[in-house]
Amino acid sequence: MTWNKPRPNIPEDMKLFWAGIKEHKFVLWHCKVCDAWYWPPACCRNHPNEPYMGNMEWKEASGRGKVFTYTVPHWAFHPGFKDEAPYVYALIELREGPLFPSNVIDCSDEDIKVGLPVEVVFEDINGEFTLPKFKPLK
Amino acid sequence: MLYEAWFEFDPISQQNIYYGRHSVVSDGRHFKNRFCIVGLGVTKVGHLPGRTPRMLEVEAARLAIEDAGLTPQDVDAAIQAQSDPGGGVRPRYDDAFSRMLGLPVKVHIPGVGRGGEVATLGILSATQLLSLGIAKYVLIAGARDDWSRSQKIRKEGQRGQAFLEKEGVWGRPFGAIPAASFHGLFATRHMYEHGTTSRQLGAVAVAERQWACLNPHAYMHGRPITIEDHQSSPIVVWPFHLLDICLQSDGGTAFIVTTADRAKDLKTPPVYIMGLGFGEQMADLWWEKKNYTTLSVETAKNDAFRMAGIELKDIDVAEFYDCFTTEVIFQLEDYGWCEKGEGGPFVEEGHIGPGGDIPVNTGGGLLSSHHLGNLTCVAEAIIQLRGEGGDRQVKGAEVALATGHGGEIVSGQMCSIHSTLILRR
Repeated sequence: MTWNKPRPNIPEDMKLFWAGIKEHKFVLWHCKVCDAWYWPPACCRNHPNEPYMGNMEWKEASGRGKVFTYTVPHWAFHPGFKDEAPYVYALIELREGPLFPSNVIDCSDEDIKVGLPVEVVFEDINGEFTLPKFKPLK
Repeated sequence: MLYEAWFEFDPISQQNIYYGRHSVVSDGRHFKNRFCIVGLGVTKVGHLPGRTPRMLEVEAARLAIEDAGLTPQDVDAAIQAQSDPGGGVRPRYDDAFSRMLGLPVKVHIPGVGRGGEVATLGILSATQLLSLGIAKYVLIAGARDDWSRSQKIRKEGQRGQAFLEKEGVWGRPFGAIPAASFHGLFATRHMYEHGTTSRQLGAVAVAERQWACLNPHAYMHGRPITIEDHQSSPIVVWPFHLLDICLQSDGGTAFIVTTADRAKDLKTPPVYIMGLGFGEQMADLWWEKKNYTTLSVETAKNDAFRMAGIELKDIDVAEFYDCFTTEVIFQLEDYGWCEKGEGGPFVEEGHIGPGGDIPVNTGGGLLSSHHLGNLTCVAEAIIQLRGEGGDRQVKGAEVALATGHGGEIVSGQMCSIHSTLILRR
C-alpha cells in the first residue's frame, strides 16, 4: 500500500518517542523522581530538573484514556484524506494526565462524544513508521 | 544594590507613579498616553493575484506615511508585523519594505509576530525604540498573500492553510487542519461544558456580516447572510460550518507610532495608546485543562487595563481577533461582558451587532472583512476613534479595545498568545 498522506514530521528530540511507537509501546515523558507524566516533553514542573532533563525518560504508559474534546473534518484538506472524510480528530485525556491529539478510529461521527473511553491502537505503515491512534474501549 | 522607592506625579497619565526599589517603574502606569498612532494605511484587501506581500507592505507604508503628513525621510525605525518571515510559516525576505521605500532607518525589526498576533507585539517594540530615544517615528507594516497561496495549494488537491505547515508539526498524518482543528477542539469543549450551540456561533457570523455590509472596504460588503444561511453552509470541520471560519486575504496594513508630543504637530488626529498586555495558554498547558474553554485573556487584560486605568464599561468599541466565531464568544466571556458559558445567549440577544450595546468588530472582522492578522483589528479601532467609520461609525467612540491571538502550540493543538491593546482618541 502506498502512503499518500503526510508523513510524521519528527524533530531530533522526539525520535525516541516515535521509536517506541514503532515497537508498539505507547511511551510518554516520565519523571523518574516524582512519577509525573508529560506529553509532549517538558521539564518536570514539580521540582528542579537535572541538566538536559536527565531526570526524565520515555516510559511505557497505559495507552488508555477518554475523549477530552474532538473535531470531525468533513473536507479533505489533503488529497490523501479524500476517501476517509469525515473522520474524527480528537484530544485524548490519557489516564496519566496529558492530552494527546490523534484520530479516534472505528467510531462514526454520531458515536463520538466527550468522555468516550478509548485505547491506543498502532497503525503500521509499510514498515516505515507507526501511527498511534485510538479506538473506543469495548 | 538597593535603591530607595519613591512616588512621583506624572503629568501625562495624571497619576502618582511608584518607582520601585529594583526597577525604574514598577507597574507600567507611566506608559499611558505617552505614545500615539498617527498614520494609517490599508491597501485594497481580498483577492489580489500577482501582488507580493512586500509590495503590499510598501504600498501600505506609503499610504501610512502620507496619512500622517510625514515623508519617508522622517521614518527612522521600521517593524515588520509578520510571523516568522525568516523561515517559519510564511517565509520570505524580511528587509523588503524599508529598503524598497528607501527609509533612512536605524533599525528594521523583522517578524515580531506570533501567528495572528502581530500588531501589539509591533507596538510594544515601537514604544521601546521611542522610549530609548533611538527612534522618533516608527513604521509598523505587515502584509499577507494567504488567499493567493491557498489557490496555489488547491491545484495540488490541498485546501485551507496547508501552506502554513512547518517543521515539527504534530497532526498532519492524522489529518489535523490548521487552524480549524485547533479552534474546533476549543469549540467542542465549550459546547460540552456550557451547552453552546451552532446557531449561537451563527449569531456571531450574522452580526459581523451586518457590520461588513456597512463597510465598503469589507470583502463581504453587499453580501448579507441570515442564521439559516449559516446553518445550511457546509460543515468544513465539525463543529464549524463554512460561515464560522474567517476569510483568507491578500493585503497590507501599516501605521506609524510616535511620542505624544510629536503627534500633536501632525495633520491627523492622534490615537493614544493607553495600555497593552499579553497572555500565553502554554503557561499552563496541559495540566490546567480549563484552558480549552477560555483564552489567555486574564493577564493580558489585567496588565492593559491597569496601565490604562480603565474598566470594562469604559470600552466603547471592541475589535476582537475572530479567526472563528467561537473566538468572539470566548472573549465576550473572558473580558467579562457576560459570565463564562453565557457568550452564546449573549450574542443571540443582539448585543454585538449594529445598534448593540457593545459593538464588536465594526468593520466586519476577520470573518467578513479581511484577515491580516490583528492588523485588521487595530486598523478598525483607529478608524473608529478617528471618527472615520462612515455608515458603521459608532457614535462617540472614545476608547477602543483591540485584541490579537495566535501562535500555534502544535503539539497541544492550541493557539497560545492573546494580546490586549487599549486605544483612545
